Amino acid sequence: MPDVEMKDITMRWGNVIAAEDVNLKIQDGEYVTILGPSGCGKTTLVRIIAGILKQTKGGVYIDGKNMADVPTEERDIGYVFQNIALFPHLDVMENVSYGPRVRDVKKPEWERISHKYLELVKLLDKMKMFPSELCGGEQQKVSLARALSTGARLLLLDEPLSALDARVRVDLRYELRRLVKSLGLTTLHVTHDQEEAMSVSDRIVLMRSGRIVESDTPETMYMRPKSIFAAYFIGETNLLEGSIKKTDAAATTVELRDGTLIEVATTDFREGDPVVISVRPEYVYPAVAGIHAIVSSVTFVGTHFRIVAVADSDDKVEFDVPATVEREYNKGDDVNLTIDKRSAIVYARTPGELGEATKLE
Amino acid sequence: MKRTERLVNFVSGRKFRKSWYAFIIAFFLIFVILPTVYVLTYTYTQWNAIQSNVLDNKETVDMILGAIAASFEIAAIVTIIDFVVGLPMAWMLVRKKFRGKNLLDTLIDMPLAVPTAALGFSSAIFWAATPSAMNAPPFALGAITSPMLLIILLHIVFSYPYMVRSLAAILEQIDETYEIAGQTLGASKLTAVRTITLPLFRAGLVTGIILCFSRSLSETGGTMIALSTMANSAGFNTGPTLIGTWKKLSGSNPELIPQLAFVSILLIIIALVLLVILKLVVMKVRLPMGKIWPTPEKILSRGLVPKMKDGFTVLFLAFFILIPSFFIFSFVATSSAAVGDWGPFLNSLGYSFAIAAIVTVIDLALGIPLALYISRNPSKKISHSLDILVNVPLIVPTAALGFSLGQFWTDQSLIPSVPTLLIILAHVAFTYPLVVRNVTGAMEEIDPSYEETARTLGAKPIQGFRRVLYPMIKSSILAGSIMAFTRSLGETGATQAVVSDVVTAPVYIVQLVNTNQYYLAGLACIILIIVSYAAMLLLRYLTRRKQGAL
Amino acid sequence: MPEIRLEGIRKRYGSIKAADDLELSVKDGEYICLLGPTGAGKTTALRIIAGLTEPDSGKVFFDDHDVTDMEPEDRKAVLLSQSYSLFPHMTVAENVLFGPNIRNWSEEARIKTLANMLDLVRLTRRSDAYPKELSGGMQQRTALARALASGAEVLLLDEPLRALDARLRISLRYELRSLAKSLGITTIHVTHDQDEALVMADRIAVIRNGKIQQIGTPIEVFERPISPFVANFLGQSNFFQGSVTYVNGRTEVRDEQGRTVAAGTANVEVGERVAVGIKVGNTEITKEHDGYLQGIVERTLFEGRDVFVDVMVAGLGRFSSRIPAGRSGEFSVGDKVSIDWSPEKATVFRLKDRSLDDELRVE
Repeated sequence: MPDVEMKDITMRWGNVIAAEDVNLKIQDGEYVTILGPSGCGKTTLVRIIAGILKQTKGGVYIDGKNMADVPTEERDIGYVFQNIALFPHLDVMENVSYGPRVRDVKKPEWERISHKYLELVKLLDKMKMFPSELCGGEQQKVSLARALSTGARLLLLDEPLSALDARVRVDLRYELRRLVKSLGLTTLHVTHDQEEAMSVSDRIVLMRSGRIVESDTPETMYMRPKSIFAAYFIGETNLLEGSIKKTDAAATTVELRDGTLIEVATTDFREGDPVVISVRPEYVYPAVAGIHAIVSSVTFVGTHFRIVAVADSDDKVEFDVPATVEREYNKGDDVNLTIDKRSAIVYARTPGELGEATKLE
Repeated sequence: MKRTERLVNFVSGRKFRKSWYAFIIAFFLIFVILPTVYVLTYTYTQWNAIQSNVLDNKETVDMILGAIAASFEIAAIVTIIDFVVGLPMAWMLVRKKFRGKNLLDTLIDMPLAVPTAALGFSSAIFWAATPSAMNAPPFALGAITSPMLLIILLHIVFSYPYMVRSLAAILEQIDETYEIAGQTLGASKLTAVRTITLPLFRAGLVTGIILCFSRSLSETGGTMIALSTMANSAGFNTGPTLIGTWKKLSGSNPELIPQLAFVSILLIIIALVLLVILKLVVMKVRLPMGKIWPTPEKILSRGLVPKMKDGFTVLFLAFFILIPSFFIFSFVATSSAAVGDWGPFLNSLGYSFAIAAIVTVIDLALGIPLALYISRNPSKKISHSLDILVNVPLIVPTAALGFSLGQFWTDQSLIPSVPTLLIILAHVAFTYPLVVRNVTGAMEEIDPSYEETARTLGAKPIQGFRRVLYPMIKSSILAGSIMAFTRSLGETGATQAVVSDVVTAPVYIVQLVNTNQYYLAGLACIILIIVSYAAMLLLRYLTRRKQGAL
Repeated sequence: MPEIRLEGIRKRYGSIKAADDLELSVKDGEYICLLGPTGAGKTTALRIIAGLTEPDSGKVFFDDHDVTDMEPEDRKAVLLSQSYSLFPHMTVAENVLFGPNIRNWSEEARIKTLANMLDLVRLTRRSDAYPKELSGGMQQRTALARALASGAEVLLLDEPLRALDARLRISLRYELRSLAKSLGITTIHVTHDQDEALVMADRIAVIRNGKIQQIGTPIEVFERPISPFVANFLGQSNFFQGSVTYVNGRTEVRDEQGRTVAAGTANVEVGERVAVGIKVGNTEITKEHDGYLQGIVERTLFEGRDVFVDVMVAGLGRFSSRIPAGRSGEFSVGDKVSIDWSPEKATVFRLKDRSLDDELRVE
């Protein structure tokens, strides 16, 4: 089974840089997701691996072999497209058998293969239907079966779920991971949806403006992101601006702009350093003392209420209370909030960086 | 201000809209479709004359069948060649990026601007063995002695751009992802194209075939000139040239009307049957995926073969299309000057321009509404049948159309059969579909949500059209009007078949060639080419000026 | 701003019923979400309100005036299509001024409106840009400004956030809602995303097969669903099927294998075939005590804030539970666990002769 390596990949379109010096290695059998906002270059990268685009600089190695002169059809990959791209003039069976047939596999064999993969996505009963007669989720399953039927060991998924309804999307992503893992494929999945990335992948690669920002397991990316951008982009977070008041081996104390003191786990910052504390809404709790804030909105989001409050320090703080509690917060209420010390992360703050890091477009 | 507002309100009312569209459809049916096929009623009303004058006369029947068979043979061969050489060209224009692409793009359209009479003269001098009186330049090929072959070569020149354009238009609409998907599944480029893109391509293919086939089938002026330019055409006739010749004689010999009617009827019926087959059958038949030959197709997809294909495509354009089109310049340059009377030519030129301008204006005024109706009608059935009807005047050979239309307007007494009026009506009939098709095509590309959003923002339908839709389809309207204008300017067959004694510029050139005034004919051609070019550029300039934003 | 009322709207496309006796009333200034799967008839309802689609039968009222036959341009109900339909040949400013230009406002009024609108959507600096030069979010804001500048009294939003990145979508939810609310515009927002509907709507109308299944505040629809479909579409539910064995204050239901579960009060009779639905977020899994059902952990899925634990229950299938990520260490694949819930969080649905699978189908 293949591993994939990208060495110093750079891609330019005239003056626009779609990817710059990207180095990425995907292990054999690993499920890696490239996550990032639109235009960050993630699709460019998979297209380069597939050989659909030719990089300006750098090399792609599959199983250690340089792909420079290998055309798309010989790279032995499965590719699933965002717009699904099932051949509209062929029925489900013909779509799925297309791969084996163009590789000169003879009839009983390609029939067997297509049956096997249609069975795998549970669509054997629809094999005589045309793509236009299927609903979105089924179409994408057929397209997955089609990509797998070539026997490719490397699967490239280019925003495979974004054309689908929210609900179908959630069901299908479990399905996707289950299939891929049961077949033991090496997978590269591209998405802008952080929730999707977290639930399917072994490892997330976060990209922005053509560069890799950081790369780690979903848990680490969520719990201990190394950059403010990662903290903000992957899941929601509260960002509190302040400076280091005091630090020692036991704890670090940060002073917010209004003088409120917050204690967090110890850091390497020195007294007076300007910092930002990032803490996720689920680690902010109402308390009798702490950060004083005024509730500005209360929204029901299913099993809990999301409460947005503005602290005296002018920072916006969001936190959740379970929906089981009778609605005890209203707009304009005073609240005091504490944060979970171990879950808060402190970042250095340079002028303008916060605005830059939280820009989503 | 107040008055325009009232006008806008009035034309936006449901009642007005309904009656306006009813009027447009009535115009289309009565002035375009009905005259085009009117002659078919002769099979009922004039059968006795046809029986006695034509069918009982074996010689005439043989002559007619021979000419018609030649017409269809030529059209079929031309269409096949156009497709084979046009597809790689369309491919290059849409899918490849290379230096000089824009130039190539312009070059392809050049033959469209040259009236077919001029084209016929020009390519005949280049290809055919010509009489010595002509003094063809020494570097002319002068090799073709078969009239059929010469006509095929000539028809390729002016139908090629139509094929390339229609194929390119569809190719642009087909999502390239399909092809890429095929390749990621292991298909070589050629296999992916053959099994995926081509089957998705049928609509474009049908359009291209209809356009090429009907253009070749209709062509009269260029064919007549080419035949009389070559040394020995041995009485070779196509359907339209037969109509042209007989119509001229029918002025003094009304006995010929049944013959003319018979030729026209045959041409119209066969053309319509072909249209129906292409439109209904080809689009509905489901192609099986077909055989796949991975290894040979892989070999053909790589290395030298694609490069040779591209090279050949460009060479073909240069040698078979462009040189024959413009060979006339070298002919005039090398011939010894002759003095002639320019008065009649300039008169005919002015007359042709006036006709073309009037025709284009009528086409635009009444064609755009029909296009809007077709593309935005919620009832698919109505749109679909109108869409097929629009193709009728396109595929019916113009000579037959002209004859039929002439008979229609003279057989009734509603409109006085003034020659100029008849010519305008005839030209409207065969240019109208060009405007409608172009605009319909563009409209179908545009998401209706633009107009709908405009309406919810408070725009009346006519305001929505003016401010939102019109700027988006402007270039297609322009393309449609250029086609209609040049088509009208260069047309010979229908003109001759409607009225035999009116002289438009191309008819005048035919007369010059027939009387062996080659040098003058050449000069007249060049003037016609230059003037139509200038008109085209002017039109482009006028519409482009305000388009900076797009 | 007008109230909107739909009465008995029907619309068929061939054999498909896009609207089947659709009834809806929207209050002045209310923000309503039409929530449903693709093909449920959400967009048709929106287009009928806009006047772009004529219903086969039924009536549309704006403030008690019958507008069924009124032209779209006279309704002051602006539709924002999924792709925004910004006019590509006009700049941001020209797009925003489209409505005022059509209505021939005075120069002064136009300048003032333009300045206000661009300021409102924070696009003053991009007023000369063409749509294709803008990011997705900016395009959406331009379309909003254009709608508002035309004097819209009703805003019809067709999946306004769909074209945007997932993360951006979340941050724009609040922004879009507060803009509409601050201007007091009556808004109807079509979406297939239940989170979006919960966060943004004053009331949610769940629509399926051209019919409104349930309409109510997010809390009502989420906590007191009237059908298994609604229960599953908003917030995903686990289901248990069986016959009622006890009714009094709470309901007990037993399946063929003799397992009994408890649920809240319901208007059902003993012996009746029912389904019990429990929201994934209200499904507890535990190793400490015996709950209603026993099963084996099949997989755990990390989603950041929460972890989904899927438990295979013999003969019943998969039960999912959503627990805070902090507790994810407690369970691993293969563990034997118990499933439990508080009875008042479980809802009983009468099945009559329908099958649960048909009830739940989302596509």
